[in-house]
Amino acid sequence: MERLRVEGFRKKFHDTEVLKGVDFCLPKGEILAIIGASGSGKTTLLRCLNFLETPDAGKIYLDGELLADASAHYKERELREKRKKFGLVFQSFNLFPHYRAEKNVSLAAELMAKEEAKDFRRNLKRELLSQKVPRARTTARAEAKAFLKKRLEDIRLRAGELLCKVGLSEKKDSYPYELSGGQQQRVAIARALMLDPEVLCFDEPTSALDPELTDEVLRAIRSLKGRTMIVVTHEMAFAREVADKVIFMADGVIEEQGTPEEVFGDPKSEKTRAFLRRRGEQ
Amino acid sequence: MTDFASVTLELLKGFGVTCYIFFITLALSLPAGLILAFGSMSRFTPLRTVVRTIVWVIRGTPLMLQIIAVFYGPYLLFGITGFDRVPSVIAAFVINYACYFSEIYRGGIESIPKGQFEAGQVLGMTKTQIFFRVIFLQLLRRIVPPMSNEIITLVKDTSLARVISIVEIIMVAQNFARAGLIWPLFYTGVFYLLFVGILTLLFRFLERKMSFIKV
Repeated sequence: MERLRVEGFRKKFHDTEVLKGVDFCLPKGEILAIIGASGSGKTTLLRCLNFLETPDAGKIYLDGELLADASAHYKERELREKRKKFGLVFQSFNLFPHYRAEKNVSLAAELMAKEEAKDFRRNLKRELLSQKVPRARTTARAEAKAFLKKRLEDIRLRAGELLCKVGLSEKKDSYPYELSGGQQQRVAIARALMLDPEVLCFDEPTSALDPELTDEVLRAIRSLKGRTMIVVTHEMAFAREVADKVIFMADGVIEEQGTPEEVFGDPKSEKTRAFLRRRGEQ
Repeated sequence: MTDFASVTLELLKGFGVTCYIFFITLALSLPAGLILAFGSMSRFTPLRTVVRTIVWVIRGTPLMLQIIAVFYGPYLLFGITGFDRVPSVIAAFVINYACYFSEIYRGGIESIPKGQFEAGQVLGMTKTQIFFRVIFLQLLRRIVPPMSNEIITLVKDTSLARVISIVEIIMVAQNFARAGLIWPLFYTGVFYLLFVGILTLLFRFLERKMSFIKV
């Protein structure tokens, strides 16, 4: 089944066209690796998918339904709903320095639970008032409080599980500055997983790391196999081994795409061959 | 009426006025400065231009002139009278300090890596949530040192209130001086020093409290 389809992505910054019409699709549960030289538009593509940039043209379909169209104007609220379908792990981690690891993971979900509890209380109050139940306000407030408490407990539990999954259960009370780069990036992965996105994106997740720390992060990503993921990466070996599909980007277009065997083993395009040769892959 | 105890008592009364002006100004100008900061960073050009012009005018003219303008302006321009002196001077101080604070806030916000905002966005947070849950503490950590500078300056700037005849501590001391008693004027320094000393300790405490935020 097709999870993601991107059609006709174009993006211009001032006079430079960074994306010149990008189309691709990604089946559910597969891992897509995007490779290419710096400036080829890989990161911009990922940022457009996460609504950090608005493409000038293009459409995103999720599970066959239109999720976003660049020509439409979305309200802030709609945009937030759409954003939640995608997760993003940044090159520079971007953990919140003033929260411990666990809170970094749970924060967004907690804020959402609080909003939900507020809606829950409002609706319950309205319902109780319409039924002329005595002490409607107090009841609604108490119910909402219990609802929130349960949700927050679940969230904390889930955050713990996710940290455990990325191998950091004993670091849940550490602040980001107390963690190594590799550990920070794994917390960031747990944080992105917390909202259970339909498509999880990684923007050069190991580029900011010392070579000896990249393995632990790649291992964490590998352990997520089965999720639909897009990984922009410079780690050719990783792309080759883990990806189900590889896209090679050059000058804002998809120069070549296919299985890792096709792209790495028998590249059709001269640009791909040149790129791989420079990387020592051919 | 010239012994140490009664002079101290008189000066304390004046210092009460000083403190009153100080605290009210601070309480109002801190949030007002934040609002101005948002205005000066707005993507809506007219608003940004207006706010930046205000900040330019206020930072570009003497505070003493502003106090006089706020107090006499309404009468000179529109013939409106009846404003009390203390609220007028507080208004002038709030406008002035809000402008200075706004630049500190703006610098602080702009110094926070864009990735922090983006991480919040990607996690589906609202702009308000991003500001208060992600940015605010990091901002506070960065602005405490420059803010403490301005706030300490405010303590001493309150003495400008005497240009519209508000009897704060320096004015009290000057009244003594006019009557031939000079030393109370120098004695006022002690009040300022003590007050600023307490503030300094407070700021140091705040900085230590927030030192866990490594940026």
